[in-house]
Amino acid sequence: MSQPPKEVIKFEVNGRTVEVAVRPYDVLLDVLRNELDLIGTKRGCDQGSCGCCAIHMDGRPVLSCLTLAKWAAGKKITTIEGLANPEPHPLQTAFETCGATQCGFCTPGFIMSAKALLDRNAEPDEATIKEHISGNVCRCTGYLQIVEAVQKASEELLEKDRPHDASVVERNRQTHPAGR
Amino acid sequence: MILPPFTLHEPKTVDEAVALKTKFGKDADFVAGGTDLLCNYKYEINAKPHVISLGTVTELKSFDTTRIGAGALLDDVMTDSGMRRDLPVIPAAIGVISSHLLRQTGTVGGNLMVDTRCFWFNQSKFWRDSISGCLKSEGDACRVVWGAKECVAVYSGDLAPVLITLGASVTIAGPKGRRVVPLGEFYEHDGIKRHVLGEGELLVEIRIPTEARTWKASYRKLRTRESFDFPVLGVAVAAKVDGDLLLDAHVNLGAVHTTPLSRDGAISQFIGKRIDEATASEIGEAVADGLVIHNNTAMTPAYRRKMVAVFTKRCFLDVTGKRAVAETASR
Repeated sequence: MSQPPKEVIKFEVNGRTVEVAVRPYDVLLDVLRNELDLIGTKRGCDQGSCGCCAIHMDGRPVLSCLTLAKWAAGKKITTIEGLANPEPHPLQTAFETCGATQCGFCTPGFIMSAKALLDRNAEPDEATIKEHISGNVCRCTGYLQIVEAVQKASEELLEKDRPHDASVVERNRQTHPAGR
Repeated sequence: MILPPFTLHEPKTVDEAVALKTKFGKDADFVAGGTDLLCNYKYEINAKPHVISLGTVTELKSFDTTRIGAGALLDDVMTDSGMRRDLPVIPAAIGVISSHLLRQTGTVGGNLMVDTRCFWFNQSKFWRDSISGCLKSEGDACRVVWGAKECVAVYSGDLAPVLITLGASVTIAGPKGRRVVPLGEFYEHDGIKRHVLGEGELLVEIRIPTEARTWKASYRKLRTRESFDFPVLGVAVAAKVDGDLLLDAHVNLGAVHTTPLSRDGAISQFIGKRIDEATASEIGEAVADGLVIHNNTAMTPAYRRKMVAVFTKRCFLDVTGKRAVAETASR
């Protein structure tokens, strides 16, 4: 068959409104990476089984490899590049300090899944964290440090909203020694 | 992987969607969340030149504890407080569908309509070409049962067995109007045809009888990993009980046949009996007895048949409030 024509769609990505010409069968992952140069979102399995391409669409974590680009029209998209403001998001810092990233390929997906969780539940328990990152696969770290990083980020985010309490800071320091 | 070219249609209403499907017929597929269909398209499995996206049809998205729109998102239904209170087995079953990320876009209707699966079929085009395809793809012979005239690919949804045991029915919209079909009669014993949907027809909603709230229900799923994977066995049990006295019960199995498989006939002898560990084991054996399971998914037929008995037993202990020791996991 002849190829269907491209159509211009407009959506917001990381707070910036963009217009892109897409084909009906383009997936959002390709548009983000190839048209908008947002290469932090990774292509892993390309079939929804690894979570490397997770982004937020209107605040909901979705897999950009299985999302048609046209479905993004009029939506608010957040990718890993949109988290720093301009300092790294506490999740990004926690992944670094807890050693939750090794080769780093899966990290953007994990952070987007974890961010969606923390937006919904500021103080998740370990089981909830594991459930919410169950759509992401890491082949390096073994997940323990990833869970630890999400816990640490959760505590730090709560800490920002709380009156200063030196004992909590000290407990965090002991629980999550830097470089672990 | 690049999706094969198609024209995307985005109807706003059910009537528009039905009109488009009627117009394009076998050249069109409906897509809701896309978590199953787009994967198959990437593998060049039965891709069509027209795709009708249902995400813009608002009528399909609403739900409550008596009816679930086919386009309701799995995660929304799973986290709904009313559903957790009145029909907790549905959120529990949704909780074991695929992964947290896929449930954000996957829909209830999509899970009922999920394509049948077989390891001779769910492969890349290159792989399938090496065996000249199969009945369900490009070939003309079944690779599982030699000489078979009908496809034996396995029904791989999780919700249908649960909803069937709860007595659910589905509303279907078509060019001639709407009709209601019991979900237990929705599926057809052919891995290619799969269901009773006729030309231009669309699954619109799932109706759940209010009586279902008074039944105790359980769903247990066997899969290779505890995330992502389709079931290689799903056992759903819904029972009317008085303490441990079994007044009535329905058993339905997923992922052992081309359709969700009712085993109500196998358990009729146990109605009116008290359920203890030994009786639950007997029910499990009765449900597993005589099952024909083909060798076309991740685990062997012998193991899956054995697990039918084990999971059925666990489900009956669940619904009578007597979980077996060390068997408290939800799967």
